[in-house]
Amino acid sequence: MIEALDLTVRYRSQNEIHVALKNVSLTVPTGMICAVIGPSGCGKSTLLKVFAGIIHKYEGKVSIDGEPVTPAKQKIGFIPQNYGLLPWRNVEENIFLGLKIKNTKRKTERNALLAIMHQLGIDGLERRYPGELSGGQQQRVSLARTFLLKPDVLLMDEPFSALDAITREEMQDVFFALWQQYEVTTVLVTHYVEEALYLGQKIVILSANPGHIDAIVDNPLFGSGDIRRKPEFFKMGLELRNLIKRSWNQS
Amino acid sequence: MKKYGVVGWYFFAIAVLFVTWWFISMIVRLPIVPSPVLVFQTLLAVFIKSIAIHSLYSLWRIAAGLVIAVFVGFPLGVLMGYFPSTDRFLAPIVYLTYPVPKIALLPILMLLCGVGEASKIIMIFLIIVFQVIIAVRDGIRIIPKETYYPLYSLGASFKEIFFEVLWPASLPKFITAIRVALATAISVLFFTETFGTQYGMGYFIMDAWLRVNYLEMYSGIMVLSFIGLILFAVIDIVEKYACQWQYK
Repeated sequence: MIEALDLTVRYRSQNEIHVALKNVSLTVPTGMICAVIGPSGCGKSTLLKVFAGIIHKYEGKVSIDGEPVTPAKQKIGFIPQNYGLLPWRNVEENIFLGLKIKNTKRKTERNALLAIMHQLGIDGLERRYPGELSGGQQQRVSLARTFLLKPDVLLMDEPFSALDAITREEMQDVFFALWQQYEVTTVLVTHYVEEALYLGQKIVILSANPGHIDAIVDNPLFGSGDIRRKPEFFKMGLELRNLIKRSWNQS
Repeated sequence: MKKYGVVGWYFFAIAVLFVTWWFISMIVRLPIVPSPVLVFQTLLAVFIKSIAIHSLYSLWRIAAGLVIAVFVGFPLGVLMGYFPSTDRFLAPIVYLTYPVPKIALLPILMLLCGVGEASKIIMIFLIIVFQVIIAVRDGIRIIPKETYYPLYSLGASFKEIFFEVLWPASLPKFITAIRVALATAISVLFFTETFGTQYGMGYFIMDAWLRVNYLEMYSGIMVLSFIGLILFAVIDIVEKYACQWQYK
């Protein structure tokens, strides 16, 4: 479970204090995907960085499974927008990075690595460097790294936004299949309504100036198979869009 | 096939240079521009007897200066690149001392450290260390912040961040800096070896010149150039191996 209570984040830029998030309270129950959607500058990446233990200076309470966020103790899987692969490490070393830092790499993990690479359709790429891979392949490597770690929580910052539309839908399916297998508590930041609707059990709408939660919507369509082409999906998408427009125009 | 091609072009370049040299020596017909054939004969005759020991002294001075420069410069560059507060404090010192022509400090160094090994090695050190500090600092500064995020969220220690990010990211710039600095270091080494020593390629070349033994002088220049070439080749090989991800 991920919990934020009255979270406020300020940062200083050129002697001005900027409020990135104001009084944000959010609970993501264990084993749920929460999609966070908002305009640029609404602090959605900031929220994720607080959960990931990258930002330490904040007011309010933030906890993972009841404990304060401590990256050294908890297993936090974080996938940034650019996939976060190290260009000087090959695919195998990149996937093993999480286990290496957590000191849990064992000989048997090699089989787990090959299995997850096979599942993600990137077998045979172990010796390649990230620069030699397509965006979709890099994304798969990043997912393999994160899921091999078996994280307590998974945090993704617009993970599919740099991909073309077709690859994006494919990667959403790949991710969803993996997620169903591990059922890890996930916060997914996105600016695509369809992505939030397809992957989010709970959809959080953020607004800017300062970043705050406008609405939390429970998504009835979540997990009902291939829904992207169904009329309910379009209808719900339209409703969500209107809700978002209203709240973003107000702020 | 491709590799053979590169090596082939190097041999071609060597041939072109020597033929040009030979032509010039034929045209001017002066003892100060001897034919490369005579120089090679002299080189083979005196290398083991007198040049080898001088080249070892020169190599030792370059190696010692280089190693100290790396041990001092690399950590400083990392600290300045990774911790902005350290940079704020150290950057002015580095920037104010970097443009000082180090060779101009030689008289002072010789008075302080004597005319022996120490002043020569410190000179080489001074030339290389600034290049290393600035290259490593800049190499680390340009690493995008996002590169660190997955490591931070995994709870990585500074040691892990150093080995996973800082070291591999700054390595290409670090090696380039050494390559650039070494060329200057060899010239300066030549100059320092003309003072207070009986050993080193600088001494050998100047001594042959004073004895009006131009063939030996040219042999010395050839050996000093060859030392430079070998050092460059070694750096290139290390870079190709250590930074292979850059060439993919």
